[in-house]
Formats: sequence, C-alpha cells, structure tokens
Amino acid sequence: MNEDTNTAVQVIGLSKNYGDVQALRGVDLSIAAGEYFALLGPSGGGKTTLLRLLGGFIRPSAGQILLHGQDVSEQPPNHRPTSMVFQSFALFPHMTVAQNVGYGLRLRKLPGAEIAERVGAMLDLVGLSDLADRMPHALSGGQQQRVQLGRSLVLETDILLLDEPLAALDAKLRKDMCLELKHLQEQVGITFIHVTHNQEEAMTVADSMAIIADGELIETGTPRALYETPRRRFTADFIGENNIFTGRVSAVNDDGVEVDLGYAKLTLNADGQAVTTGDDVAVSIRSELVELLASGTAAGAAHQIMAATYGEAVYLGLATSHVATLPNGEAILARHISRGEAPDALAAGAAVELAWPRSMMRLHLS
Amino acid sequence: MGDDYSSVWSYRLKWLYTLLLVATLMLPVFYVIYISFNKNGFGAAEYVFTFEWYGEIFSDLLLLGALGNTMILAAITLVVAVPMGLIAAKFYKATQAKLLTVSLLLSPLFVPADILGSALLVFFKNLNIACATVGEWLGVSWFDTWFDLGYFSALVGLIIYTLPYIFVVILITMGRYPEQQTEAARSCGATAWQAFIQIEFPQIRAGVFSACAFAVILTFNEYTRTSLLKGGYDTITTVLISQMLNEGMSEQSYAMSSLISFIAIAVIGTIILYTLFQSDRLEREARAKAEPVMSS
Repeated sequence: MNEDTNTAVQVIGLSKNYGDVQALRGVDLSIAAGEYFALLGPSGGGKTTLLRLLGGFIRPSAGQILLHGQDVSEQPPNHRPTSMVFQSFALFPHMTVAQNVGYGLRLRKLPGAEIAERVGAMLDLVGLSDLADRMPHALSGGQQQRVQLGRSLVLETDILLLDEPLAALDAKLRKDMCLELKHLQEQVGITFIHVTHNQEEAMTVADSMAIIADGELIETGTPRALYETPRRRFTADFIGENNIFTGRVSAVNDDGVEVDLGYAKLTLNADGQAVTTGDDVAVSIRSELVELLASGTAAGAAHQIMAATYGEAVYLGLATSHVATLPNGEAILARHISRGEAPDALAAGAAVELAWPRSMMRLHLS
Repeated sequence: MGDDYSSVWSYRLKWLYTLLLVATLMLPVFYVIYISFNKNGFGAAEYVFTFEWYGEIFSDLLLLGALGNTMILAAITLVVAVPMGLIAAKFYKATQAKLLTVSLLLSPLFVPADILGSALLVFFKNLNIACATVGEWLGVSWFDTWFDLGYFSALVGLIIYTLPYIFVVILITMGRYPEQQTEAARSCGATAWQAFIQIEFPQIRAGVFSACAFAVILTFNEYTRTSLLKGGYDTITTVLISQMLNEGMSEQSYAMSSLISFIAIAVIGTIILYTLFQSDRLEREARAKAEPVMSS
C-alpha cells in the first residue's frame, strides 16, 4: 500500500472493458494532493471512463484505485472521498439553488443551522448569494455550473472530479470560468481532476496534466513540458501546431542523431533517449518556430534549413499561417504573429527556404 | 395555430373534428348516464327524471358485492403491478438488451384476451390436479385449493394484463429523467435508495400516479380474463354483462355504471388538467425568470 499522504490518487494497471471494447488499458497514474490535474484527450479516448472509475460510477475490469492510500476499487461513490461536477443536467430540478447546495449536508444529517451557514458561505464563494431561492431552470448555464461546484465543494471532500464542466458553455464564458475554477482551486486547496477535450482549457487550469487517447495514457507532465518537449509523437500531434517528419535514423554520434527523411537530413539532440541506427522515428518542430527565409538569406549553423514550395497564407487574426509543400508532397506550416500589413506576398509555387533552430526539434521514438 | 398563411377555417375544422370524435366516443357513456336518471328505465316511452336508482344502488347487494370485489382486485393489482412496472422500467433503462426486454414485457398485449385467459385457466386447473395428486400421495390436503379459481388466479391474469401498460406509462416519464442526477446524488453521499426516493421519484411521480390510475381503470374494465379466472361472475363488469345477456340490465346497474364513469372521468380529467396547468405554469415561470437574469 502507498503510505505517501501527498499522493491523492494512485491508479495501478487500471483497465475497463465493455464487451470486446477496451475503453481503458492498463493505466498507471499518480496525482499529487492539492494539485489541479487535467485529463486531456480526443473524444472517446477513455478520459471520462477514467474519471468515472475514480468516482466509483463504474467498476474496473482490472487494476486498483488508491485514494489517499486507501484501496477504493470496490467501493460505491458515496463511500469515496470524491465528489463530482457533471457536464450538464445534473442539478436537482425540484430543489432551489440553496437546497441543491445543501443536499449532501442534509444526507449527513447535520443540524439545520450549520447547513444554512455552510450553504450561505458556499454561495458567497461561488458568487450566487442573490440566487439562493431560484430554481435551477431559471439559471443560465454558467450559473448552473456554479451551483454544481458549490454542491460538491460544500462537502469538503478531498478530491473534486470535473467531467467536461465547461463544455456546455459558450467560448467567452468558458474562458472566464476556466480562470475562476483555477482560482477557486487555489482557495480551497483540494485536488481537482478536470476532464476536457479542449487544449486551451486544460492548459489554463492545470498544474499538471495527462494525455489520454485510445484507452491509453499517452504522456503526463506540466502543460509547458507537454507543449514544449513532448516525448510521444501523439502528444506533438495533439497539442499545439506541430510539423511532424517521419524518417529513419542514419547515424548516432556525439553531435546528436541524424535522421534521413529521404529528401533531407535532420540533425538533432536525442535528449537522452536510447536510439540506434536504423530505427524508424518521428521528428517534430512547432510551426511558430519555422521561419520563411527570403531567398539568399543565410542562416547560422544552429538552424535547420529545408527547401520547399510556397503554397498560401492563411490569415487567422492573431497569427498568419504560411503553408508550403515539402519535396515529398507533405505540407509544412510556418505560423507568425500577424503584424501590420502583410509583407510582399509570396507567389504560390515560388521556391522558399524554411529554417528553424535545431535545438528546438524533438525526437519521438513512439 | 399553424403558420400565418394557413386558413383560419382549416384550424377551426380541425377543432371541430376533434370535438366530434370525442363526442362520438363518449356518446354511449352519456346515453347510459341519461338512462340512469329515467324513472322508467331503458327503452321506456316516457322519460321521468329521478335520482331513485342511485339511492337503490346501496341496497342492491349483488352490485355492492361486485363493486367490493372489483375494488379489492384493483387495489391488489395496483399494489403488486405498479412496483413491478417501476422495477421493469428501471431495468429497461439500465440494460443493453433493450429490444428483448421491451418485447418480453409487451408480449401480453399481443395475446388475445380470451387466449391468455383460457391458457391461464387450463394452467391453474392442471396445477390444481397436480396439487391434489401430490396431496393425496403425501396424505395431506392443505394445499389442495391453492390454485382454485378465485382472487389469486384472477389477480395473476390482471397483473399480466396491466403490467405492459404500467411499464410503458412509467417509462415515458422515466425516459426524460437524466441519469446524471442519480450519479450527482450518489457523489453527494446518497445511497442508491436515497437517490431514487429523494431525486428520481419526485420527477417521475406523475408517471407512477398515472400508471396507478391506469391499473385501476383496466381492472374495472376487464371482462374476459376476470370472468374466466375469477369464477363466480361477481365483479362489476362480469355482473353487468351477465345481467345484460340474461335479463337485461337493472336500473340500478345503469346508475352504478354512471357513477363509475363520473369517478373515472373526474380522476382522469383532474390528472390531465393538473398536468397541463403544471407544465404551463412551469413554462411561464421559466420565461418570467429567465428574462431578468443576465447570463454570467
């Protein structure tokens, strides 16, 4: 058993099958107490399954779940130190806001005065004091989610599970609520585990996060680490906007690894990963690091240079994305902050050179 | 009301059609009520208004006994079949095999009443013979009459008959209930039972009460299964029909039929009006409250 009380959640070899479908495959994960943890991944990848396993709404097919060192794998939701916020439709429609928030406290048979006091304090915290007597159907989407938060937080459980809590809100409101959630978590200090398919949302709230796809835990790390130095090719593909090259290792030496793409060779640092000549690998570079060089401009040796054919510019507001075609026919993106008037437009079909710092390329073995 | 371009007359015709349809369906009932107030009874040349027959209901022991029997059958059917239907609807929502479940539960609807009734009759007769044989063999007689025709056998028939209706009526309201609310309650610390009673039941109550009303009305209405399985022709419908076949209905019987119709119409009407007003009120409240609340 894990005696470390700083670990709020430890999951060992956790699997969930629905018939022949493996929704989750042998996941190992630990989450520190007091951390804001995000589970990020594409829809149907298994992140909600993991959250529901933690909450006790489904039973694991294999593996163990330890919450604060206690094995809860066989316990129902009401015996776990967790509470949950759902995407939508989870408020009790026949109870007022205050009754919803106080529901768990009434189940605990606390004295009425104490319930009223704690509900009042919680409504203050989530900013709903004026709406205590409203029925849920008379609330906006954002207010409804605040009631859910209050209903869960008032129970003072150690772990709060949030299942796509902002997915039903419009974009602007989602942004505001993200920061609010983050600040709320810092105030109450308990562990938040937040499921989302929205990258920006995860990166806003999370101290650390896990990428889950296809029933597998792909990678964990801080948002910055996953964005800047992803180990897995999937992470590079999923987070941010990356150019990914596939090739074969043609040399390994003190300078680093040489990867042969067929039309060009890349030299980069393996960053401690064990790699041998002949391995099939992927290399990624973030699109904002790729520069379009005017022909004849010399770049330093610290830069990787690659010839390409210019395609088009896509104006995205904040950034402009330039699309070029590599000799093997694949597209490569160079994204720059849009500033003032567009520079002399490149003609489609023009030969260009692209350059980026070698030190920023990442090698992916899987 | 249709769109702005449709003729107001087509709208009025649709209403007229609806009212005519209802009137046609209800006409026989109103005719029975009309006769029940005639001193000279059915088919008389002269109509003299009276309450006399209503007074005599309570001295007609045959009718009163039949009413009592029917009420006992209805009450037990309700107490047994409604929880069964509720559990079946819960199971339906949880199971993966929805088509199989619904086919099995609705299958009694597709068996004609006389076939189901006579099949059960044969079944109970054989059970009786088996019991008697085993009893004789063991030298005891205390279970000889377990499966004699009576309340028990009639109830089995009625429960099989009413269960599909109850299941469907409850399922309609239960279908709108979002399962997340049960999960939310569980994560607030509720047991499965507390979550059902405190959160789910208040929201499906209308369906359960309608199912209760349905069970009672179906029991009052049922002739074939009850006459085959109860024995004795001593429930309201069986009494009325055997009277009619033999000697023609008595005047009190018209009064009794009318009385039951009044009660049924009042109960169902109240449920419908209450439901309509309730949903109308909720909608108006929602609209009124939604206005001043700024989204934030």
